[in-house]
Amino acid sequence: MRVLTQSQLNEWLDDLATRLRLVAPVDVQGRLLYRPVRDHEAIAWGYERSDMSPKTWTFPATEAIVTIEQGSETQINDAPPPDPTVIFGVRPCDARAALAIDALFLEKEPRDGRYAELRDATTLIGLACPEMWDSCFCTVVGGLPNGTDGLDMLLTELEGREHGQSYAVQVLSAKGERLLAGVTVQDRDVALPEPKLTEGLPTLSPSSEWKAAFDDVYWQRLGDRCLACRACTFVCPTCRCFDVRDEVASRRPGHTVFERLRAWDACTSAPYRRIAGGHNPRPTPQSRLRNRFYCKFMYYPDDFGPLGCVGCGRCIDTCPVSIDILEVISDVARLAARESAEVRA
Amino acid sequence: MSSQQEQIREAARAYLEGGVVSVVIGYEHGPKGQVRPAFVYEAGDVDRLIWSRECNQNLTTYLHSFKHSPRRGAPVPRVAVVVRACDARAVNLLLHEQQIERDNIKVIGVVCGDREARGQERQACRYCQEREPVIYDTLVEPEAPVKLSETPDDYADILEMEEWAPQERLAYWLTEFDRCIRCYACRQACPGCYCFECVAEQVDPHWSSIAVELPEKFFFHVMRAFHLAGRCVGCDACEAVCPMDIPLSKLNRKLAKEVEDLFGYRTGDDPAALPPLATFNPEERLPL
Repeated sequence: MRVLTQSQLNEWLDDLATRLRLVAPVDVQGRLLYRPVRDHEAIAWGYERSDMSPKTWTFPATEAIVTIEQGSETQINDAPPPDPTVIFGVRPCDARAALAIDALFLEKEPRDGRYAELRDATTLIGLACPEMWDSCFCTVVGGLPNGTDGLDMLLTELEGREHGQSYAVQVLSAKGERLLAGVTVQDRDVALPEPKLTEGLPTLSPSSEWKAAFDDVYWQRLGDRCLACRACTFVCPTCRCFDVRDEVASRRPGHTVFERLRAWDACTSAPYRRIAGGHNPRPTPQSRLRNRFYCKFMYYPDDFGPLGCVGCGRCIDTCPVSIDILEVISDVARLAARESAEVRA
Repeated sequence: MSSQQEQIREAARAYLEGGVVSVVIGYEHGPKGQVRPAFVYEAGDVDRLIWSRECNQNLTTYLHSFKHSPRRGAPVPRVAVVVRACDARAVNLLLHEQQIERDNIKVIGVVCGDREARGQERQACRYCQEREPVIYDTLVEPEAPVKLSETPDDYADILEMEEWAPQERLAYWLTEFDRCIRCYACRQACPGCYCFECVAEQVDPHWSSIAVELPEKFFFHVMRAFHLAGRCVGCDACEAVCPMDIPLSKLNRKLAKEVEDLFGYRTGDDPAALPPLATFNPEERLPL
């Protein structure tokens, strides 16, 4: 297997950073965020899971998808082509999340052209997790701490550091192969370390069981606590709802520039579902919070295939009132068991 | 005397059994031992309620969820809420602003113990000189005597910030706001933020762009701070819920200090005092 020593990896990253945009986890005043870096020294080595997912680079929080210039004549410009970008240190859950978003934007018509451009321009270099950390539950939703889905390359830190830290390299796509071309690597016989898995996690109910639990008073009670903010959806690597609005970017006599902005939106907030005339079909935090979970475990998999959750656990750690998606998964399994017992009786 | 937790449970049980309220808002432990808000509807469930020095959320923000009639013709629900001294001033704020009716709420006021430990974790607790909440129906007394802070808030951090040059201050805040993800957790956790439609989200007129970028973040936080001038109770709930650790209490404290200096007014202290920014007094002359 191909192996990179830490110094070979550093050199390679430094070289990549000169040729294209290198994005990696960075400590930004105590928060771990994916930010462009100039060299390997800016990277927060030894990080666990970032606070925001690398989704911010393939599905930016804000983007002008079209610019409209109105002067003596009207000109419509698409967004400029994105810079070629390599994201280093992607955790396997976040790569699976990118695949989940692809299912909506790329695999169903109409295809989202801008998202396709960003995805094409981006190469994902994964870094396997040695263990499942607190709040991690990737195994509940079909992932693994060392999973390769969605990555162009996966690095695994090797145990036995007699030669200093080194990384086993699994190349997983032609994009990954191209990126590694010409890089000095060693060829060693190494065994990949097994990640430590968390025991005793609940089992995810199939979508039919979620359906049966839809009208339970449970959702009312759970939503009592919800503050209806947007934190859970914004830290989520899989949430992909957005709002689009045409806004004036600049104006001078006879010449106006409009931007068609796309920005993240969140189903948990009140204006998300508000429609013309002011009516809101999901008027309460309860109905909106329930929608968030049903989207992840029923609507999205039923309509597009993948689950809308990869088990990163960010929402668990971020929710200011401790709404815990793993607790919800256990509770729904319990509700479904009670429901079927009642049916049998 | 029984523990504060026991007293809270007793009060909740009495309110629910007597049909005085339909729900009690307090604190409970989540599955990982974390403290979180709890809504108890049945007297048999009151043992879920807990009290510890980690009970730091301002639960009065949830009073907005119960201030309207749930269905046409149905009465406005009656609610009991567990409050600390700072939260109690938020109850006064909401009464003052006619958001809630006194008859519809029962206030379980807790005298916070463990001041030193609390103060190490939260700035709001460090200088707190309040023992009893300013408004309560049931008072939850501590088992041991409470040692209050002897020194009032000296606003040392704010005075220091005021020394900075305007460009330095701007640079500081832009760096802090840069991390903001515009999740609005600060606004949602705040009992004083209850507009039906927030300026930051209003569609017509469209005051603020939907972009999650620095100008919008800056606009949002500065606008929110101004809207809370003379209304913020200093509970620090906004800062506590921020997923990006933005020091929001500094903004609020700056404006609270201005209002105290100009009007000698602290939010919610005296339910009869008129809030300065909601009062027009033709005699008033500001020392400008």
